[in-house]
Amino acid sequence: MSSAAQHYAILSKRSIVNTFRQPISIIPALTFPLMFLAINSAALNEAINLPGFPPVDSYLQFMIATTIIQGALFGSIAAGGDMARDIEGGFFDRLYLAPISRSSVLVGRVAGAWTVSFLQAWLFFGVAHIFGLSVEGGFAGMLAVSGIASIVGAGLGAISMSFALRTGSAEAVQGSFPALFAFLFLSSAFFPRELMSGWFGDAASLNPLSHLIESARHQVIYGWSVGEFMQGLAIAVGVLVLGLVLSGIALRARLAERA
Amino acid sequence: MMGEPTRYPVVAESLVRRFGKLEAVAGIDLQIGAGEIFGFLGPNGAGKSTTVRMLTTLLRPTDGRGLVAGYDVVREADAVRRSIGVALQDAAIDPLMTGRELIKLQATLHGIGTASTRKKGDELLERVGLTAAADRRVGTYSGGMRRRLDLALALIHTPIVLFLDEPTTGLDPNSRQAIWDELRALNAEGTTVFLTTQYMEEADQLAGRIAIIDNGRIVADGTPRELKARVGDPTLQVTLPEGVDRLEAEQVLLRFGEPLPVDEGNVAVRLSQGPAAVPSVIRALDEAGMVVEALELHNPTLDDVFQAATGRRLEGADHADIQVS
Repeated sequence: MSSAAQHYAILSKRSIVNTFRQPISIIPALTFPLMFLAINSAALNEAINLPGFPPVDSYLQFMIATTIIQGALFGSIAAGGDMARDIEGGFFDRLYLAPISRSSVLVGRVAGAWTVSFLQAWLFFGVAHIFGLSVEGGFAGMLAVSGIASIVGAGLGAISMSFALRTGSAEAVQGSFPALFAFLFLSSAFFPRELMSGWFGDAASLNPLSHLIESARHQVIYGWSVGEFMQGLAIAVGVLVLGLVLSGIALRARLAERA
Repeated sequence: MMGEPTRYPVVAESLVRRFGKLEAVAGIDLQIGAGEIFGFLGPNGAGKSTTVRMLTTLLRPTDGRGLVAGYDVVREADAVRRSIGVALQDAAIDPLMTGRELIKLQATLHGIGTASTRKKGDELLERVGLTAAADRRVGTYSGGMRRRLDLALALIHTPIVLFLDEPTTGLDPNSRQAIWDELRALNAEGTTVFLTTQYMEEADQLAGRIAIIDNGRIVADGTPRELKARVGDPTLQVTLPEGVDRLEAEQVLLRFGEPLPVDEGNVAVRLSQGPAAVPSVIRALDEAGMVVEALELHNPTLDDVFQAATGRRLEGADHADIQVS
């Protein structure tokens, strides 16, 4: 393995291991989506009988894709928070005192966010299966959903890290949490767009998150579809590219004062 | 790991760093010889850490030039990083990782192979007394243990120059002594040490040469002995028991230097021939039949040097006097 690959690998490993060593930072990303899943599945199950609602056997089946993407969204805050704490505590400086490439720290953390989102998706699938979830797309469908979620998780993690690199403050990163919530609620995360009307429906149609969730949802409700997967993948990769660009610019700005 | 051997591993030429209108470092010149322990002494905010950050590539100089291990800190930053070990203020260590994991991380980032890392890591952990705690998370370490781990991390790639930014601030005397012992041992092995401190005693105990920085400028530099000699001669204070004639004692002391005003019941003299005159003073007092309660020799301290250079006392100054009772 080249030295750059070794740097990426060990920094990714640190990022993943540390995530699980401070459960408080990942508990919200695990519990909130499951809580929403439990409450909505219980309260909105009758909604599946509405005309125009997708052909699901339970609201759980409709909601699981949202839960997985929601987990990736919330997990991204933890990734940015960890980066900010490295900056606040001086560990960021320690890493840059070694002869490593400037992108190593960022790539390591993004890879860590990717892995955590991927594992989180399978955990959510596992929990939902206990409560009777069936995935029409089978293993390939679940792999597609977890793959898309992990790429989005990495991308949003990178965006969160750009906040951390700009501000150097974990509190500032946490402050972006309400924006993610608003983004989520103004989408088809909890209700199909077909049943929305007026400005809310328009906003949901403009929100890329709607299309991302619908792409993942298709694998669960209708079965494996290359076209739907490619649509979700394109949006996820777009988020990742945006995140990498923003965090790269923020990293460059932070390191500009250095030799 | 090692860069080219050089006679002066740390050189600063008119090094300047400004933050907006504030000139934190105002054009300093340094030349630190191979194998030296160089003490950079000054109060908080004097410019010590800013200088270290420039010399360790963490901060770009506004003007001037820095060379470390023969490499330019701006143009050859990677080569500088390969040649230096750095322990920054407050031991910036990830509290979620274990000591051994941090050693492995640091070694990997410096391109050291797995087998070498294990051997060197075990040696370093043993050396800093952390073998038993190596697999515990750093969050459970005491302040002294963190500093010792920080030192081990800085040494994993066998650096030519070790930069230590206030390595013992806030530590208890035992932990401070442990760090001092380790620095002396490292220096004896040939490592050049650049040590910033606000403790005069630390600089006095460890450094072969000292520069005192204040408001971004070096106000005095030299060996501790040279610096103190510039301030003046030591003073001897004699405490007399009740009933002893003070004037008579002053007459005896007058033969050894200029008398100094002191509290009632004491007499003092600035020894013009230095500390070597103390036995003669004791003999003279004895021959004059004088009984004394205590003798105190006050050598000039680095705080006196700082005061002579700046007109102010150094924060946290404590005197290193010899007392004979």
